[in-house]
Amino acid sequence: MEWDFRNIDDEGKLNLKHFFWRCTACGTCRSGYTYGPPPTFRKICPQGEKFGFQGFFGSKGKAALARWMTGCSYLTDEKFEYTPEFLNTLYTCTECGGCQNQCMIDFKPHIIDTIEAMRAKAVQDGKGPLQDHHVLVMSMKNNDNPYTGPRAIRAKWMKKISKTSNLKDINKESSPVLYYAGCTPAYNAPVRDLALSTVSVFDKIGLDYGALGKKEVCCGSTVLRIGERDQFERVASNNLEQFKWLHDERGVDTIVTSCAGCYRAFVEDYPHSDAYKDCMDGIRVLHTSELLYEKFKNGEWEPTKEVKMKVTYHDPCHLGRHLKEWIIDWDGVKQWEGSYLDCVDKGVFEPPRELIKAIPGIEFEDMKRARNNSFCCGSGGGIKTAFPDWAAENAAMRVEEAMETGAEKIISCCPFCHANLNDGAKVIKSGCNTMDLIELLDKAL
Amino acid sequence: MVENTNILGELKGIAGDEHATSDKHIMYAYSYDMCFVPNKLPKYVVQPANVEEIIEIVKLCNKTKTPMIPVGANTNIGGLCIPKQENTLLIDLRRLNKIIKIDEETRYAVVEPGVSHAQLAEALYSKGLRFGWPVGPPSGTVMGCALCHGISGMSGRYGLNSQMITSMEVIRPTGEMCRVGSCALKEDSWHSFLPLPRMDGLFTGWFGTTGIVTKIGIYTPAVPPHVDVVTTSTEHISEMYKYMLEFGRYEMADDLTAVNWWLSQSPIPYPYKEKPADEHKWNSYAVLYGYTEKELEAKVDAFNTVVKHQQELGSSVLKTEYPEEAKRGRTELPSQIIGSTKNYCKEAGGGISWPGTFTPANKWEEVYNKWEVIYKNRNLSPATRVTMYRGIHYGMLRAMTPINKQSPEETENAKQAIVEALGAILDAGGIPYKPPTDFNIEINKRANPGYLKLMEDIKDMIDPNGIMNPGQLVVR
Repeated sequence: MEWDFRNIDDEGKLNLKHFFWRCTACGTCRSGYTYGPPPTFRKICPQGEKFGFQGFFGSKGKAALARWMTGCSYLTDEKFEYTPEFLNTLYTCTECGGCQNQCMIDFKPHIIDTIEAMRAKAVQDGKGPLQDHHVLVMSMKNNDNPYTGPRAIRAKWMKKISKTSNLKDINKESSPVLYYAGCTPAYNAPVRDLALSTVSVFDKIGLDYGALGKKEVCCGSTVLRIGERDQFERVASNNLEQFKWLHDERGVDTIVTSCAGCYRAFVEDYPHSDAYKDCMDGIRVLHTSELLYEKFKNGEWEPTKEVKMKVTYHDPCHLGRHLKEWIIDWDGVKQWEGSYLDCVDKGVFEPPRELIKAIPGIEFEDMKRARNNSFCCGSGGGIKTAFPDWAAENAAMRVEEAMETGAEKIISCCPFCHANLNDGAKVIKSGCNTMDLIELLDKAL
Repeated sequence: MVENTNILGELKGIAGDEHATSDKHIMYAYSYDMCFVPNKLPKYVVQPANVEEIIEIVKLCNKTKTPMIPVGANTNIGGLCIPKQENTLLIDLRRLNKIIKIDEETRYAVVEPGVSHAQLAEALYSKGLRFGWPVGPPSGTVMGCALCHGISGMSGRYGLNSQMITSMEVIRPTGEMCRVGSCALKEDSWHSFLPLPRMDGLFTGWFGTTGIVTKIGIYTPAVPPHVDVVTTSTEHISEMYKYMLEFGRYEMADDLTAVNWWLSQSPIPYPYKEKPADEHKWNSYAVLYGYTEKELEAKVDAFNTVVKHQQELGSSVLKTEYPEEAKRGRTELPSQIIGSTKNYCKEAGGGISWPGTFTPANKWEEVYNKWEVIYKNRNLSPATRVTMYRGIHYGMLRAMTPINKQSPEETENAKQAIVEALGAILDAGGIPYKPPTDFNIEINKRANPGYLKLMEDIKDMIDPNGIMNPGQLVVR
């Protein structure tokens, strides 16, 4: 299986270099701003707000790093060399895409790819990722998950499932729906209830579904984000082949996951494989919130129990603004070669909100920064592994924003955000904890 | 510079370990802006948190003879914050980002250097106030724009953003703090420079060579509830000038501007593209506000009268329909979808600069005709804008020049076009604004010797060690 991720130093026409040189350094990426009216101004870049210097801030900073790293700084005699400080700057970006949402020029569609390509180059040169990431990478190599948990306990959470559950062992039985739990609920104890709640809700709405149990393998998202492409490609190739087998042999036509990271990997990263179309033919990927919303709209179920609570919703980056179909004029037919024309927003923004609002007794209010201008929890891009204190500190800012709405709980759809926001709440000793949407829905059924 | 001094260590001691650096990749990120001025890496960057830290830093620079440049958002297009000397320290002021005061009743605000247009826009709008928003990126700083004589969508009536400054606090190059204007007499009073001596002139238009401004008061007019944008087109700049001259005398438009076909494209065509024969070369817009419907109606009536009169005189001027998006672009400022980031340089990629000048309006035609030849010869669009400020008191003439920064050859070509255009404007009595060092050399060649001597004397008096943005004005 071949993968076609772009490299930071690719030669040829319309390579990444072409695009990061189109950054004008205007700095629009530094903050979330809309005219409105009324105008709104919000901090949007966790890395920039924390570390301050130009170079850390937004896509303008990343373009500068890319130019510096690739030695195409033709206007200066200075030469690039890896330093701990450079790697620190490279690896303190959460890859949240907040800057990408502000940018208006041709660099826009290529910003996150540029960051990941720089990290891949650092790995290729034997300089990346950071020391603290190595345990994650080793765990992926040895255990097929980033949490250092042995393969044998991946399915331990399933032991708590009722014997009357609809959940099938899809290795042995056919089912149209594969519930891909992901590593975080399997190995990260603070969010383990997420998988159990998913099973509970699926059972309550009478879904026919199955899971892989011990045979489930990490989606690869965490290693891809830090530049470890080889490890990503290994597990992703395995998954694609497994998905094809499940489709052909077990009748799977839907893969559903409660993890925003897995979802992003399946829909945004896996298409980089030359086998993607073949392996995923006849299979659709849905986030749990999408599947449940679809069935809710069709009248197949509805929340019935009252949950008296005021809540707000945190948009995970991987389930929100990362999901875009970029419209680029590659051939220059409409504008010029490589020009950014538009994007189709595929972010899963409304299903979670609609489901929350459908619960009797719930009071809902969005935070000031929401949807495409959501403020990252600070967990992504390898930050939680290498900089756990800062990740929690950043999450604390998000919790404070949630508290401004008067919410008692934050609802989210990502186990990474979930765990980190709760760490943030601890930092400021806030009772405004986070629960997953699926846990909330479980209470309402 | 005094050698063997641990300047970085001292900077960290003042601002904190995490707020001072000399890391090369960070220096590279500060080594350029949008324009053609070649990269030059500073030696250090420090981000002070308050006035006290700035004073300590300035004293350190004096002690060590370290060149220093104050930096806001670093979004200018004249290389103003790019070092001209080795071992330069950039003082990045973005941590000073508080809106200290908004006086709704008497309509002024006090801001620190790191406050962006976007930040202030949100705060002012909620109180029914506004400021002179430029067409630059919303991330640009209010103070940087104002101190450099930046222009805005209100300059037609209110003048430059520097003319909206009402008071200021400055750290002098020797480390003393001083206040200029009403705040010099009463600490919380930032309403006016007048009737005191106008010492603010020591710090506006000097591009950080005479001090570090740490607070400014600014006039913030009310947002009128009624707005219209009236537009015209003409074939020739001479006809556009006559229309603008007549309409300008009413002094009722917040913005009275004309752009030629190349600038009205989105983005500017790069390289040069021929204008379609069936389209007028010049298009104008005038932004009219009214606090009552009748006030606005009267302004629109005046516009109609002027157009009719010009037509009776034989002008090709026509009233035109203005696209809704363009209308929003003229009134919904600051904006992330117009201006330098999108319209201007998107097609070339990576850069923009200009021969940006204040030029008497009666010289526009003469200069523009030369510019058109210069730009066409270099296969560049002569994307030109003319604007009348304060009626017709003075006017702006500039050609936005996209730059492909990935190509040294194309960058040099754009630079040469600008330099040639600059020669034409200086011959006609125009003055470049926010000029890169190369432009200042040309300006100084033509300047009155007494003017230069006075500048030198002021610079020597106020900055005896010559450490503030040395070389920028090419007087010291």
